[in-house]
Amino acid sequence: MKHLESAKMILQARGLSKHYGGVVALDSVDLELREGEVLAIVGDNGAGKSTLVKALTGAIVKTSGSVQIDGRETRIDNPSDAKAAGMETVYQDLALVNEISITKNMFLGREIIKDNIFGSLFGVLDFAKMDAKIRDLFEKLDIRIADIYRDAEAFSGGQRQAVALSKTVMFGKRIAILDEPTAALGVRESKMAMDLVRSLKDHGLSVIMITHNMQHVLNYCDRVMVMRLGKVAAVCDVAEVDGDTLVGLITGAIEKKVANND
Amino acid sequence: MINQKSSEFVSVPQAKTSGWQILQYQFMQIWQVLAALVLIYAVFFVLSPAFRNVDTLLSIFSQAAILAILACGTTVVLISGGLDLSVGSIFAVVGVVVGVLIKEYQLAYPVAIIGALVAGTCLGALNGVIQVVTKVPAFIVTLGGLTAYKGLAELLGSGKDLSRFPEGFQMLGSGYFAPICIMFGAALLTGLFLTKTRLGNHAFAIGGNEEVARLSGVKVARSRIYYYMIGGMFAATAAILEVSKLNFAQSSRGVSYELFAIAAVVIGGTSLFGGRGGVGKTIIGMLIMQTIIVGLAYLGVGTSFQRIAIGAIIILAVYWDVWRRQAR
Repeated sequence: MKHLESAKMILQARGLSKHYGGVVALDSVDLELREGEVLAIVGDNGAGKSTLVKALTGAIVKTSGSVQIDGRETRIDNPSDAKAAGMETVYQDLALVNEISITKNMFLGREIIKDNIFGSLFGVLDFAKMDAKIRDLFEKLDIRIADIYRDAEAFSGGQRQAVALSKTVMFGKRIAILDEPTAALGVRESKMAMDLVRSLKDHGLSVIMITHNMQHVLNYCDRVMVMRLGKVAAVCDVAEVDGDTLVGLITGAIEKKVANND
Repeated sequence: MINQKSSEFVSVPQAKTSGWQILQYQFMQIWQVLAALVLIYAVFFVLSPAFRNVDTLLSIFSQAAILAILACGTTVVLISGGLDLSVGSIFAVVGVVVGVLIKEYQLAYPVAIIGALVAGTCLGALNGVIQVVTKVPAFIVTLGGLTAYKGLAELLGSGKDLSRFPEGFQMLGSGYFAPICIMFGAALLTGLFLTKTRLGNHAFAIGGNEEVARLSGVKVARSRIYYYMIGGMFAATAAILEVSKLNFAQSSRGVSYELFAIAAVVIGGTSLFGGRGGVGKTIIGMLIMQTIIVGLAYLGVGTSFQRIAIGAIIILAVYWDVWRRQAR
């Protein structure tokens, strides 16, 4: 991982906290993401992984903390701010609207408007242009879905996840954030989804990925951040840990490992 | 990424979606409810000799027209996952407003119509703004509107003789032709809005999964206010037509029209839970309801029993919607 250590920081979060009344869901967490890496976030249920991702992407209002992107202080108060900053997020269970087509899902909130008077006056959508862009993208990513006009619920879990992941390539300028991209997927579909995650790198994206699957951490990620009880328990290079160590860190059987990435 | 569930649709990756395919797909959405309409019509056609003429058919359409226009707005609101119980009262207010503008303020009727449309749209906007700001559920806010707007209509119209309008204004709602044309015009506009525009497409996304829509960057609150404005505008359109047709305006009109509109939307197959539906279905739903009302009347069944029949059909339609959701 030598080449990564010299890579520049794309995202630095400092002191992210989220309190729900007296409950501290996220306790002053620091996070760093380097250009072109896949960073795994692991931890037990309730360790604060999803809260961290949501605080980072503006899906929830954080209690405190700051985010720098490319070394510049960036305010992220809502999902639109995150998107404007080049962050594209795939939330677990909240990636697609079942009731609308693949095309409409892909471009939801960022539709292409017809380049004529109907477009500028009434917001008439340019479906031909959107369809063409999706077909190009799917071909590039080897996603074999032709009937993109059908409702999202007509597709399998793997296909839906492929669509959600491809959204990060379409719109994510810098960073893709994935909350358990293989949850609820079968073995074969998981592998396809993870191959897609790996290929995000080739499209210039740095990736933060929450996962419960240690095999995926070891096979597909560059660094891993272990969370426990709302805090960072450890940050390690994947090359330097094995599955047992990770499980020990997650459960607390192994005490805090000094982060060796500075 | 090919699985059995949709593999029959997965052809060549670069296959273009043809217009014909999309038409077929849209027909698949409405054929059941269209078949139901034809079947119900056929039953009355067989049972009642008097039912078998073009005049009856035209009167079904023209009786459906005013409520169907109102229901166009209700369709948009329900698809977005909202609910508007106040459109019947907006209907009453707008009827009085157009009457007052023409008779008391002596405005030219086109100006009065524009004024009345603006009034209806504003009342709809108020419904939306109150919900978005206070987070009080749509049911309560528009139930409040149902009563409050009714009171407003009574205040505006009390002690005024709002009848005998100018000829040009009377033309709008009289006879078969004009109301039916306006109904199809309203349906066409709503259909184009829902399928072609960004705001219209967001109605399905918000009604389907508001949280996903929000996380995707859709301006949910602002869009909702627009949908209630559209509901108010169509209620106003319907009210203007009825005043023109009856040649008088009264604050007591429009009672329970919101329920008829919701019934037509649901019978047509638009989901009461949001995210699915279309305005073509609503028009068919309204025609089904009117066919049953007119048909039962021809068979000598009294209005009380007609109401019971319509009530039963509404429950059946929602049951069907619930059943389809569970089957998924």
